[in-house]
Amino acid sequence: MAAFLARRIAQGLAVVALVATIVFFLIHAAPGDPFSASMDNPGISESVRTAWRHSYGLDRPLTEQYLRYVGSIARGDFGFSFSLQRPVRDALASALPNTLLLMGIALFAGFAIGISVAVAQVRRRGKASDRILGGLSIFLFSVPDFWLAMLVLVSLAYWIPLFPIGGSVDPVMHDMLGPVARAADRLKHLVLPALTLALLYFPFIARHQRAALLESITSDYMTTARAKGVSERSLITRHALRNALLPVVTILGVAFPALLTGAVFVEKVFSWPGMGLLIVNAIDSRDYPLLTASVLLGSMFVVTGSILADVLYRMLDPRIRDER
Amino acid sequence: MVDVAPVKPQLPVHMRPSIGVVLAALALAACTGRESTRAVSENGGALVISVGGDPDLLLPPLSSTTTAQIVEDLVYDRLAEIGDSLNTVGDAGFKPRLAKSWTWAPDSLSIAFHLDPAAKWHDGVPLRSADVKSTYRVYTDTASGSPFAVTLASIDSVSTPDSMTAVFWFTKRSQLQFFDAVYNMSILPDHLLKDTKGAALRTATLARTPVGTGRFRFVRWTAGSSIELVADTTNFLGRPHLDRVIMTIAPDFNTAMTRLVGGEADMLEQIPAASVANIEKDTTLRRTLDPGLDYNFVQFNLRNPKQPSKPHQLFGDRALRRALSAAVDRRSIVMNVYDSLAFVAVGPTVRAYATTDTSVSPIPFSVNDAKRQLDSLGWKDSNGDGVRDRNGIPLEFTLEVPGSSKARTRMAVLIQEQLKQVGVKMNIDQLDFPAFIGKEGSRDFDAVFGGWHVEASPGSIRQTWGSGGTAKGGTNYGSYSNPAFDAQVDSALSAGTFAGRRSHFTSAYRIINEDAPAIWFAEPKRIMAVNRRIDTGRLRADAWWATISEWKIPADKRIARDRSASAPNR
Repeated sequence: MAAFLARRIAQGLAVVALVATIVFFLIHAAPGDPFSASMDNPGISESVRTAWRHSYGLDRPLTEQYLRYVGSIARGDFGFSFSLQRPVRDALASALPNTLLLMGIALFAGFAIGISVAVAQVRRRGKASDRILGGLSIFLFSVPDFWLAMLVLVSLAYWIPLFPIGGSVDPVMHDMLGPVARAADRLKHLVLPALTLALLYFPFIARHQRAALLESITSDYMTTARAKGVSERSLITRHALRNALLPVVTILGVAFPALLTGAVFVEKVFSWPGMGLLIVNAIDSRDYPLLTASVLLGSMFVVTGSILADVLYRMLDPRIRDER
Repeated sequence: MVDVAPVKPQLPVHMRPSIGVVLAALALAACTGRESTRAVSENGGALVISVGGDPDLLLPPLSSTTTAQIVEDLVYDRLAEIGDSLNTVGDAGFKPRLAKSWTWAPDSLSIAFHLDPAAKWHDGVPLRSADVKSTYRVYTDTASGSPFAVTLASIDSVSTPDSMTAVFWFTKRSQLQFFDAVYNMSILPDHLLKDTKGAALRTATLARTPVGTGRFRFVRWTAGSSIELVADTTNFLGRPHLDRVIMTIAPDFNTAMTRLVGGEADMLEQIPAASVANIEKDTTLRRTLDPGLDYNFVQFNLRNPKQPSKPHQLFGDRALRRALSAAVDRRSIVMNVYDSLAFVAVGPTVRAYATTDTSVSPIPFSVNDAKRQLDSLGWKDSNGDGVRDRNGIPLEFTLEVPGSSKARTRMAVLIQEQLKQVGVKMNIDQLDFPAFIGKEGSRDFDAVFGGWHVEASPGSIRQTWGSGGTAKGGTNYGSYSNPAFDAQVDSALSAGTFAGRRSHFTSAYRIINEDAPAIWFAEPKRIMAVNRRIDTGRLRADAWWATISEWKIPADKRIARDRSASAPNR
């Protein structure tokens, strides 16, 4: 296991390095630069823009900029964000926890609802409720995320004003509340974006889980269990589900990077101050350090998710564990 | 003014005041007068403004976003503030602010600003002339890289003969001396900045937690979420009526609108025309419609993009530009896209300037004239493909359009159709904003659908349309150059009287309209939506937020969040 892990981590580091290099050169090849927007201001002279470019080292050859970038990344320094005018590390430190909180809850809820829906569908397979849940899954699966986000926002924050309209806290009242009320305020703001994301994720999980369960319940061991008089409910939840969870582990590995970048549009609609907004703004403003650091972080999540899925697979499936 | 009906208290017997106490209270009320009661009822409330994004910095010399400007203008002060008329000639249009008064030198080459002795920084330190001198240093230090340095070029130096007097010395006399000295410079605290220089300013504590002299104090900035300001109740200019101003950040316009109609925000600016009907239907909202400081235009590149020393193969020809201008019905296009929410532009200017003569008119629309002119220039459809050509070259060009502007994108499609009617093929190239700006800056285009947001003084026309802006790095992207136009602009900016100024500007606009280096389209009006409980009073054309300290929320219109106000001056 240790050798396997070491090998996978080494591969992962190579992937991250490759991604960082490609992103660095791609973003520099895109038209415009961090200070091109200032050309829209007739008051800003070219000499000022030149001074800005010089102070950030953007007037140096691209290879030199790349080597400096690699050197600073190796030292754990992600640079200074042009658009936010603060160290990239600080910008990531304030946005990342918000996204992890939102996406963590959304993924957990998405998986929980997805698996539950799949179990319910399989228990009532062929009946009306199976078809209704299946139709609902397909509908939600095909809905654009920003549209669903707007629908949820308008329905539950405006037409029926149960929850606040966006943000992570109430900007007017939050600091005047006691500790419990503050926590409640934060939770209230979390509900709609998390619900939207959960609604977007669960159909994907439900469809995979349902297919895996249907395959599982036709297996020989299920026939044996059924012959022994095990109830249908126990058959599915205690026997079939355990074996059918394996494909969902693969999805978990794929979904792990979504913790970082999976909520770009939803964060925008709900004004959630997370990584999605940070990345979109970094692209718009050609903020090279912030964008490369965000992509670097994203690639680390992809690699970590992939390693995590491999490890879980080996733990859950002895056949894979025993492979050399 | 709303008088609040007093509520009769029903107190238990043991708590009821004696006759003596009541009489004493009545006497006290009579002495303090009605005004103080009224003042108390006028103060209070929290204004929530929905803004589209975070500020970049909160340091006036270095910040560039509108959100930053709003915060800075409420937290910091200038020496004098421009009035509603936006009269930038001399000092007649300005009101004292940090400077209680000022004195011109007999030769007009210096102005001595006498500071208000009551003015204090929000940390309690008194304002001194050293603050003014230090501010000038920060704005003009090349290592700081302030974009405003160029606007202070006419100031030679600032001296401080005593602790309450700052003297601005100018390199030459001009009608904009006073404007240059006060408009683009918010005074900064020397005691918090004197050890910070150059690039280090961007990471200074003051750049994220401003300490000013303005009528609002900075409380906090939560990145991606909100910015909070609170009333400075001991301000030397008097406390503002509102207790708090909170800016909530909503990058998505639909979310911002939902917050507004849902009552979570009190105001939202830059409302697109398509949303105006929704606001008008909502009885809790009021829409404001004022002339703005923006105009947009299709700008022709007069130089060859590949060989800038040579004229553009199409647009180097003044007569062709005039023919294209005549082929486009600007009025119908503007009406189609903006309805009544924009003026048809009269040239490279805006109606908010008192110096703009709206009787000036660009080349009138006439399809027949356009066709006749194109025929006479030898542009004919020789091969019957619907596109005119001359010497084998088709009359075809590409218009670069910023995809972020829906209005410009829609107008481009209408222009394309109208030009097609006269045998001109116009391709539309939609670009994201950085790429669009990159093309403009490198002059790598045939035509661009540009737009300018101008400042309070029309002086920026020198950089955007004058010969001075044609050099590399300049902002006259089409490279239009006409000495007669430059001369009229220079004469206007140095004219001693308003009438003279207006007359020279009118001549300048006539010259540039005849040369047709661009087709001027719309002057979008500034549309904002404000909750009806907010009494905004007048709004200044260049900065609607400039009067926030005068805004009120009448006592009977206050809601829960108004009464939750945190103690000002914490």
